[in-house]
Amino acid sequence: MNIEDLEKEINEGIDSLPLQERRKFLKMGLAVTGVFLGGSVLSLTSISHASNQKNADSDIPVEGQYPYPKHYGMIMRQNRCVGCELCVEACKQTNHVPNDHGAWRTAIQEKITTENNTEKREFRPVLCNQCNRPPCVRVCPTKATYKDPETGIVVMDYKKCIGCKTCMAACPYNARYFNEEKYAIDKCNFCIDTRLAEGKKETACAAACPARVRIFGDLKDKSTEIYRLLQTPDSKIWVLRPDTGALPNVFYMNG
Amino acid sequence: MNQNTIKLMGAMLLAVSVLLASPLVSSSYSAETSGAEAPAVKGDTHKFLYDEHTRKNYGPKADIVWAKPTEVTFSHVVHTKDAGLSCTSCHKGLFSMKAGAVLTSGKMTMAAMAEGKYCGTCHDGSTAFATDTQCASCHTKVEELLPPDPIVWTKPVKAVLFYHKSHTEDYGLACDECHDSLFAMKKGAAEKADDFTMKSLYEGKYCGKCHDGTTAFASDTRCNTCHIGVKGYNRLFGNSASHDTKSQKDPHAGK
Repeated sequence: MNIEDLEKEINEGIDSLPLQERRKFLKMGLAVTGVFLGGSVLSLTSISHASNQKNADSDIPVEGQYPYPKHYGMIMRQNRCVGCELCVEACKQTNHVPNDHGAWRTAIQEKITTENNTEKREFRPVLCNQCNRPPCVRVCPTKATYKDPETGIVVMDYKKCIGCKTCMAACPYNARYFNEEKYAIDKCNFCIDTRLAEGKKETACAAACPARVRIFGDLKDKSTEIYRLLQTPDSKIWVLRPDTGALPNVFYMNG
Repeated sequence: MNQNTIKLMGAMLLAVSVLLASPLVSSSYSAETSGAEAPAVKGDTHKFLYDEHTRKNYGPKADIVWAKPTEVTFSHVVHTKDAGLSCTSCHKGLFSMKAGAVLTSGKMTMAAMAEGKYCGTCHDGSTAFATDTQCASCHTKVEELLPPDPIVWTKPVKAVLFYHKSHTEDYGLACDECHDSLFAMKKGAAEKADDFTMKSLYEGKYCGKCHDGTTAFASDTRCNTCHIGVKGYNRLFGNSASHDTKSQKDPHAGK
């Protein structure tokens, strides 16, 4: 994306950014660019650029800087998504997500643009980004949500949750919901209890996807597809809302 | 020569008017249709506007029009005068002379013709054009045969749109370019087949016959031109339908 295109975008202003982020943003210079799908700012910094940063703030994980023994993540090959929502169905089945309004662990977002009188559809799968610096964990008063020290997955201790919903407010991705049945906050946990604990290598959504949009795996393991995709030089990879500094572990690319 | 023509026309007019007024003709017509098995034939088409001479040599002058199951037009003149068939070529071995008799039998189907019965005796691809080609030659209201656009496939994934109109009118395809070699005419037949998948398309089956990257855009590109996703499907059929629903019947409306 070049400057001319950027100038056409609507300025979102800085009202929604906390002071700390504003300062960091200015420090980063102009590496953060772009407006997409509802106006979130996202980074279009290519991986080669990102890996040159060689610091812990890089959106794309840098070789040798994985904080967890197993560092699970997911990469979405976004333009392959056809919005069939088989992933959503599989997730609901596997993780017993209620049918209530607002209850979700993963979803498909849709964007329709009209070009020359023809509709253009884009779909984007979203789920909990399992951030390296999760704002939800920081705000939880009872430590009911925490980073799993083994896998880096943001998990819930339903017994400790008091349902104050502070984490829901803190999450930059709106990835949490209040589960009436559990009477606790629930969220995507990469099927850590329902599938990974049984030795399965993929989450339910990734296994259900007919177009292989969702590639799940250990970012550290050089034999995984996600490692190969993330570490291919000059491929364009982005994350959602990098401005929050949460360092998400769900990545997006086209391919 | 002019005088001769005028004389001939006068004679023909006289003959026609006499025949129309003749109680003999009208009574024989009513005798044909008032039987227990009244043929479902459009009434006015049975007022044979023939003159004796034409009928004797070439059969009824007016086209036979079968209304059910779909409108089919048959011209005696084309088959006798132009193609040179005699009456006995078809009567009575293939078709009873009694009006509508073959129709009430229910045996005259496209499948029967493909086996060489009825029209298929000659329309076999060598003597005359095969019955699975040139549909519109006999099916005069072929546009009425088409299901309302768009066709919405929901298997194996929800949902894929297909517009007959753009493929026949904009791209000029004839019925037999897809039917029945790629798609059976029967509604939902493709969906029931196990191989109705993207993989088959890449191998040149179904849509992939044309959508190969040369004739039309390759089927592994521009996914969301045809795929509308669950959200698009719900918009098409749901209560909050916003557009493109005018030709669609709501599947839940009749229940």
